[in-house]
Amino acid sequence: MAEDVQPSRNVPHMDEPLTNRLRGGLIIAVISLLLVGATFYISSPTVSRVMAILTGVVGVGVIAGLIPIRAPQDFYGGLALVLLATFALIASAELPGQRGFAFGPGTAPRLFAIILAVLGAAVALIGAFSDGPRIEKYNIRGPILVIIGISLFAALIRPFGLVVATYLAFMVSITGSKEMRWIESLIAAAAMTLGCVLLFVYLLNLPFQLWPQSNAPQLLFNQFAELFKSFLLILSKLVPGLWTDPSRLRLPCPNSSRILHWASGWLSPR
Amino acid sequence: MSELLSNLALGFGVAFSPMNVLFCLLGALVGTLVGVLPGIGTVATIAMLLPITFGLPPVGALIMLAGIYYGAQYGGSTTSVLVNIPGEATSVVTCLDGHQMARQGRAGAALAIAAIGSFFAGCVATVLVAALGAPLTSLALLFGPAEYFSLMVLGLIFAVVLAKGSVIKAIAMVLTGLLMSMVGSDLETGAGRMTFDVAELADGIGFTNIAMGVFGFAEIIRNLELPSESRDIVSSKVTGLMPTRKDLIDASGAIARGTLLGSLLGILPGGGAVIASFAAYTFEKRISKNPGQFGKGAIQGVAAPESANNAAAQTAFIPLLTLGIPPNAVMALMVGAMTIHGIVPGPQVMTKQPDLFWGMIASMWIGNLMLVVINLPLVGVWVTLLRVPYRLLFPSIIVFCCIGIYSINNAPTDVMISAMFGVVGYWLIKHDFEAAPMLLGFVLGPLMEENLRRAMLIARGDATVFFTRPISGGLLAVSIILLILAVLPMIRKRREEVFVE
Repeated sequence: MAEDVQPSRNVPHMDEPLTNRLRGGLIIAVISLLLVGATFYISSPTVSRVMAILTGVVGVGVIAGLIPIRAPQDFYGGLALVLLATFALIASAELPGQRGFAFGPGTAPRLFAIILAVLGAAVALIGAFSDGPRIEKYNIRGPILVIIGISLFAALIRPFGLVVATYLAFMVSITGSKEMRWIESLIAAAAMTLGCVLLFVYLLNLPFQLWPQSNAPQLLFNQFAELFKSFLLILSKLVPGLWTDPSRLRLPCPNSSRILHWASGWLSPR
Repeated sequence: MSELLSNLALGFGVAFSPMNVLFCLLGALVGTLVGVLPGIGTVATIAMLLPITFGLPPVGALIMLAGIYYGAQYGGSTTSVLVNIPGEATSVVTCLDGHQMARQGRAGAALAIAAIGSFFAGCVATVLVAALGAPLTSLALLFGPAEYFSLMVLGLIFAVVLAKGSVIKAIAMVLTGLLMSMVGSDLETGAGRMTFDVAELADGIGFTNIAMGVFGFAEIIRNLELPSESRDIVSSKVTGLMPTRKDLIDASGAIARGTLLGSLLGILPGGGAVIASFAAYTFEKRISKNPGQFGKGAIQGVAAPESANNAAAQTAFIPLLTLGIPPNAVMALMVGAMTIHGIVPGPQVMTKQPDLFWGMIASMWIGNLMLVVINLPLVGVWVTLLRVPYRLLFPSIIVFCCIGIYSINNAPTDVMISAMFGVVGYWLIKHDFEAAPMLLGFVLGPLMEENLRRAMLIARGDATVFFTRPISGGLLAVSIILLILAVLPMIRKRREEVFVE
């Protein structure tokens, strides 16, 4: 297993295997497409739209095998930065810019986003034309279990209190390791919980909820509802036409907004 | 000179009152205890312990905070050496050789050298702060927005030059950090920027959330995929808790050089301590007779960055107390603490409240002494931490991190945000991007933007002002030279490769 993750700096003109190309190119193309879509909702879309379209073309080029990738680490890393910069441009597009000599709130974010895009493109270009290491294989199971453990802590700490949150977060994240032993883990989690309660609540006097509140399930549900609302809010900012305000869509074709209005009437929850 | 002595005498008079010595000892002890918990770095420790000091008189509170600060920093290095998890950016370098030493059974020596180096650096830096405080206050008057901006550019360029790997990638990371720092309310108009109207983002992304995610969680996720023998510490043979005479002789030069470098760089805004520890390590490696030893447990690799970051941590008080700008996140917290006690940091502190100013400087030295007193006997206790196997240690670290983040604002969202940054950090590791320059850009972002905007407004939109004002132009020239020096060897190497082909 160790052999195929070895960085092959010595191999000249190393190219990506086909499956990696398909996967990487597809991810880039899809994200670029989404960003291109998002540019139709902002007032001055030219720069960000051109950037998104260009990265999309590069993504398609990667799938088709037209673009050399000699250092995948740098190539995909650089492109991701370009996409991030495009996203920042779109997100800060509606902020007022320079007025007279005074910078507006939107000037600096746009300025830095454009510099970042240029640097990201440079990194990607270097990655396309000079040899470098491959991307190491991503581990899926460990990270996901650890992230679930952390999220569980975040969700439970308010309604169910420190004891439950600590114990469960410990137990879930420990399963991320392949060397986990059940009995040992259960005891260690209990000891850890006790230690944390003594240290943080009794010694440091931090104002934590210790035991579950009486209406804990209700609170937990409210928290999730709150989170879902924030998620919807962000989504509706990025693709507002879908269910909030189709008139904000700026399309060149005159009939399109009417069609979209009709479609969103079908799609929207109300 | 006599004025300096009388000032110091005033300071020691204040700091040596029994109550204040007690506060200092208590602060250093609690700071070490909390800072030594894996995953809880200096920032989180101070944030968690800040409320304890609210009830004290201002001088006592600040002295205790200074104690907590040094304690937390030392505790952070302890975790780096023992479990290879840096609580913050300053101890990232200490991990490299410190942890290797621990795996060779020399954890005790590494920890003791770190304490001794820090103490020496602390002594020198205290004198330096006392001596430079007054003249720099007058220099502060020469600094306009353009100069501040250029100074911060210089700080960031230092971070880029000293990062390992590609210069372009490091600059890109700095810009990513700057961009992330702009999420939240605009400083001047209050307009929400890139927040998507989400209330949790209105205050911006918290520094600790990013730091914990990118350094704490990402590192753990990363460690999980390594084979177990490479991270479990050989716990059987812990030989000799104290450093041998040979260790001390080997380390003495490194401590002196680290102190010098740290004191100088600490004055720069821009996480001076981070830059200092990186710079000291790189410098030691460059002048060493056998650089191959570095990364494999060279004692100089622990001594130099530890002395440097402690010296820098101390001289970082200079910009705070004289210019009133916090050079890093910890100092930003100190500003918060000062404001709570009704003290506005800046040039006027020295003239209006001399007992506070000099008392705090004297207490820095006492704080460092306390660290040696507390830690040399405790080294044995910390080393027993090594016996906990990693499969049990890592969930404990995760839980500590979660509690640490939650305790700062009592906000579950903060924990979720750091989890997201954990994934981001994992991605960065996979693509060989460095997180330290990004964090630095994030810390300096708001100040940098503010000064950029002010300078442009004062110069009536003329961007050449950064080059035509002498101090600002000088600072920028130094940055450009540094950058060229950093890129040159890369170009040369690339050309050599071409020639070989």
